[in-house]
Amino acid sequence: MKVQTIQYEKVDEILHVYQHDSGLKAFVIPKKGYSKKYATFATHYGSINNEFVIPGETQATKVPDGIAHFLEHKLFEQKDGSVMDKFSALGSSPNAYTSFNQTVYLFSCTDRFDENFRLLLDFVQNPYITEESVEKEKGIIGQEIRMYEDDPGWRSFFNLLDAFYKNNPVKIDIAGTIESIGNINRDVLYRCYNTFYHPSNMVILVVGDVDPQKVFEEVEKNIKNSQSKPDIKRIFPEEPRNINKGYAEQKLAVSTPLFQAGFKDNRLDSRGADSLKHEVAVRILLDMIMGRSSALYNQLYNEGLINSTFETDFTLEENYAFSMFGGESSEPVKVKEKISGIINQLHRDGLDRATYERVKRALNGRFLRQLNSIERISHTFMSVYFKQVNVFDYIDVYDKISFEYVNDMFKSHFDVENMALSVVKPV
Amino acid sequence: MQEALLEEKVVKIASVNGINVYHIKTGKFKTNTINIFFHDTLSRETAALNALIPAVLRRGCRSLPTFQQIALYLEELYGASFDCGVAKKGERQIVQFYIEFISDRYTSENNNLFEKAFELLFEIVTNPVLENGVFKTEYLEQEKENLKKLIASRVNDKMQYAVEKCFEEMCKDEPFGVYEYGTIQDVERIENGMLYSRYREFVETLPVDVYFTGIIEDDKLGRVIEKLSGISRKNIKNVEKSRIDIGAKDVKHVTEKMDVNQGKLTLGFRTNTSPDNDDYYKLLIYNGILGGGGFMHSKLFQNVREKESLAYYVFSRLEKYKGLMAVSSGIEIKNKDRAIEIILKQMDEIKKGNISDYELEATLKTSETGIKSLKDSQLQMVDFYLSQSIAGIEDNFDEMIQKAKRVTRQDVVEIAGRIKLDTIYFLTSRNKG
Repeated sequence: MKVQTIQYEKVDEILHVYQHDSGLKAFVIPKKGYSKKYATFATHYGSINNEFVIPGETQATKVPDGIAHFLEHKLFEQKDGSVMDKFSALGSSPNAYTSFNQTVYLFSCTDRFDENFRLLLDFVQNPYITEESVEKEKGIIGQEIRMYEDDPGWRSFFNLLDAFYKNNPVKIDIAGTIESIGNINRDVLYRCYNTFYHPSNMVILVVGDVDPQKVFEEVEKNIKNSQSKPDIKRIFPEEPRNINKGYAEQKLAVSTPLFQAGFKDNRLDSRGADSLKHEVAVRILLDMIMGRSSALYNQLYNEGLINSTFETDFTLEENYAFSMFGGESSEPVKVKEKISGIINQLHRDGLDRATYERVKRALNGRFLRQLNSIERISHTFMSVYFKQVNVFDYIDVYDKISFEYVNDMFKSHFDVENMALSVVKPV
Repeated sequence: MQEALLEEKVVKIASVNGINVYHIKTGKFKTNTINIFFHDTLSRETAALNALIPAVLRRGCRSLPTFQQIALYLEELYGASFDCGVAKKGERQIVQFYIEFISDRYTSENNNLFEKAFELLFEIVTNPVLENGVFKTEYLEQEKENLKKLIASRVNDKMQYAVEKCFEEMCKDEPFGVYEYGTIQDVERIENGMLYSRYREFVETLPVDVYFTGIIEDDKLGRVIEKLSGISRKNIKNVEKSRIDIGAKDVKHVTEKMDVNQGKLTLGFRTNTSPDNDDYYKLLIYNGILGGGGFMHSKLFQNVREKESLAYYVFSRLEKYKGLMAVSSGIEIKNKDRAIEIILKQMDEIKKGNISDYELEATLKTSETGIKSLKDSQLQMVDFYLSQSIAGIEDNFDEMIQKAKRVTRQDVVEIAGRIKLDTIYFLTSRNKG
């Protein structure tokens, strides 16, 4: 069994890695003294993969929007009932989520890890989908879609994506629409499953006080497919560099307006550890410009234009990247104008090195804090894994990043031509 | 290497002038925390005042007089996090001040972050920015506005609101009926002088609990205890336990109308069970079987949602210190009576002993998992010990698990007999009858 062990002494963590013949990698991050054990089994397949070439075929296959999420729901149903019941009987809590580029299945337990783990490996690898259950699910997911339609935070986010992107599938709702899921059937679900749920396209992570050797032995025994598979060709439409529109607005039942603004990032050539560096640089910049210690944040707060709900974020994937900032505000357009004003001023005056050092140190500290939580470690690990890096690679990034690099990133990312605003207003 | 395998129990290291100081020695986290809790009796007269105090204090202190300066300093402390909050535990209002910071071993120089973080928290609590002997007007006015907006936004989370409102209606004539942030009118009436003298009373007379988590050397602990002893204190207030034994009355029906598509129903019950009694464990398991802890095999989930498709969410929840239970669900408005019927039927089934082995065992197991999981978070551990001390219980994690696991079907049936329906609250649409 090929097992590698990497020590991260700086943060008192260890990473054990096992590579299965199929190409699947399994990881164990031991957390001594913790009660919970958390296992995740994920596939590199999400809502943006609506067009692809199945290995062995020449023609592209296009599938309805929302199918990755639909498939996630269906996997929990087995011939002898719901797999949720089996987890409950073992005292553990199962869950799953579908994001833009991955689908993740997981459970959390404090005892009987081995049994729970086998159950996870088993149900994800053995789909049981009938035409009848597909039809029933359309009703349930339809309700879920309705629920998200009413969620102001969710709507302001997706409207921002629509403002950024003309064609990129990231702007499509992860669950799809009532119409698009109407076109889902058993056959297309199995085609997606067989394409993307191959071990070579998947990953396993266990975080907790477990024996790595035993975990890897279970993986070796329970992963069905041992042959590796050629890469799946994923197809994405051409996306223009400029934003789709500068402003989006929607009316919903909220007590005060909510907004999200951000910058579309066209620098999409970062790979591996560089993508983490790109991300950390933008996060540092967001905090420098509009974090809680910034003059801008405090000015806006004191003028009553923002409150403590104001947060910033940054997303970077293979073919899309954007920053996002917002919260509650009685005057979102004014806030956006003040922010672009400050940014233009900074382009003229330059950034302050001392501020950079201080913010970097703070962000590094906050990254370390994430390592307290088994759930956060797992979530962050999964969110970067398919970029060929692991959560501990951030340590080196914080160590080696430079003011020059961050300055360069400021020029390329914070371009007001690429800024958009999405507002949700009261009815 | 980290000391991951410490026993992690709480030790009271000092008690001075009504300030209790505790140390939870734990080596498995990358950060340490300091928590300061002020306890007061929940009352209409003081709720809003107590809620406004932390909001104004966090705006600045003598050495760092603006929020921005505090934020800058926190960044220098390797991204330490500071926050404050208000909570209600039974008829007790708790005001919390908290700071979390990374352990010195992860800093480049031996930084003594513990003492710096403690100094900051201590300053914020005891040394506010004053103007003419009272709070800085600008801070007071802005935070009054923010607090009013926070109270107004209660209705944005209708699920939470429907539970809180039910309890408030149930306990209209009891201290528990007060919302922990007060009312908008109460906030409006607050004047600077009034808030400042309330603040002096707050620091001088309210009982205080301080919890430190992490591995901290004795000499450092000694120094902070000395600082705490230096706080000027007068007669310490006695905060009473919540009254649980409220006599039986006719069931109250309350309806509230808003712009909603879906109805929110909450049934409020008196459990007549005190948390410092071993019977409380029976109630815990009862609640799990009925509809607690997101447990999918619960009677409510299976019957209200799965069988009848009446709801997307339905749950039961205990309010431990006041001895209450809420059963809450989001339903079609027209299904209100049917939902009430099914909910009461499930409770009846439990009374009759219709609890399967699976229901009982799965509940015992998930309860055990839930208790064990608390140890994986510093904040949850602190909250656990604080709650135990308020309820007057000495049980530690292991004892809790043992007592919960010993609950039998008969115990659950017995406790079911004590639970009495008090109020039915329904949040419904303005448009429909």
